[in-house]
Amino acid sequence: MHDNIVDRSKDISILEALDRVLNKGVILTGDVVISIADIDLIYLGVKLMLSSVETMEQLKSGRSIKEIQ
Amino acid sequence: MSENKILFEAGSFDGISEEIGKLTSNEESRLKLTPDNADSGLAKLVLTLVELIRKLVEKQAMRRVDGGSLTDDEIERLGATLMKLEEKMEEMKKHFNLTDRDLNINLGPLGDLM
Amino acid sequence: MEKMIYALLSANTDQKEVISLLAGRKGLSGADLYLVSTAEMAVVACDIKRDDIIANSYNAIEYASVIEMLAQHFTLLPVRFGSVMESTDAILQMLERNLDDIQQNLLKVEKKYEFGLKIFCDSEKLKADLKAKPEAMSKKAETADQEITQSIYRDWVNKKLKEHRLEEMLLTYVDSVIAEIKGHLCMLQAVSKFNKMKTSTMIIDAVFLLDMERKDALIGAVADLQNQHSSLTFVLTGPWPPYNFVDFTVK
Repeated sequence: MHDNIVDRSKDISILEALDRVLNKGVILTGDVVISIADIDLIYLGVKLMLSSVETMEQLKSGRSIKEIQ
Repeated sequence: MSENKILFEAGSFDGISEEIGKLTSNEESRLKLTPDNADSGLAKLVLTLVELIRKLVEKQAMRRVDGGSLTDDEIERLGATLMKLEEKMEEMKKHFNLTDRDLNINLGPLGDLM
Repeated sequence: MEKMIYALLSANTDQKEVISLLAGRKGLSGADLYLVSTAEMAVVACDIKRDDIIANSYNAIEYASVIEMLAQHFTLLPVRFGSVMESTDAILQMLERNLDDIQQNLLKVEKKYEFGLKIFCDSEKLKADLKAKPEAMSKKAETADQEITQSIYRDWVNKKLKEHRLEEMLLTYVDSVIAEIKGHLCMLQAVSKFNKMKTSTMIIDAVFLLDMERKDALIGAVADLQNQHSSLTFVLTGPWPPYNFVDFTVK
């Protein structure tokens, strides 16, 4: 039970960090290589990560955007 | 980043991380136009805009009704129009196999359209 | 070879210290992190091939953790993940072109950190609670209930009207919570930004910019608010680099 709460805290911390680094901060216009569509895919990964351990394993293996598509 | 960034949290975590995840978009909410899905992609785009306008009209209408400036007759006609519009929209969604969730476009950093 | 940019710093920053902090860290593709600086400003960058920029959460978090580590020591402007520039020259020119904006933004966030507050509730339950409150049963709301049924259209309007009023009540309630938070914040001299109703259960998503010494006071304020609002769940996170307080577009 305790471990579960620690994991949840970490999940939320990661999501909060991702939300910031992907959506906020200085944008160097014209030079952003990650499109909004790609970012969606990262989020999709994060959402799945929260819901299934299986997907977590896939994320760990670090599949690239191209492979996912 | 192993650091725990939670400074304060009183309730249970149930549902919260899922909720934060919801903020982020999902694949279905993206408008993906390719030669193969041009038909359904276009239907989705058009219906999304129609639904947005329909909701805005409905909201504005309710504000007017609430404001009390409309006559009974006007309210009656307004209700007839909006209700039919809503029914028509449901038919179209069914026809193109779209859900409410489909009829929303994620605008990236701008959040969801609706 | 492209340059991936992590953060913008003032040139007044102790550059030797930055370099020593960067020494053990690697950038996304395993390349070294380094400083590119002009007389006024500096950026932290690493070399990367465009094809090597893989957009996954692992890389995004790695990227964020470099910014995080630097932000613990210096005032900086975090750069969004995925920002690359062609060459060192391009970076220098970009710094030159945006000198004023960058300096103003750096000044605004100097020695300050970002904190995030998300407030959750079951909005359907909250609506039900609001409906049950005596003051909510205003004259107008009652008339809608007692309206003599004239037609299915009128019924439909009445149904929609009730939903509309509940939504308005929810918004009024959310505004009152925001006002309360702002009341606590003015004592902390925080800059704040609020978003309402991002999802049906996240009624408020706010970010604050404040001095580190006021962190405990902020936690205390949030704990007080939580005590007063048992139906809401408050989640406070931080300290973060000032991601939400950078408001300019690089020219």
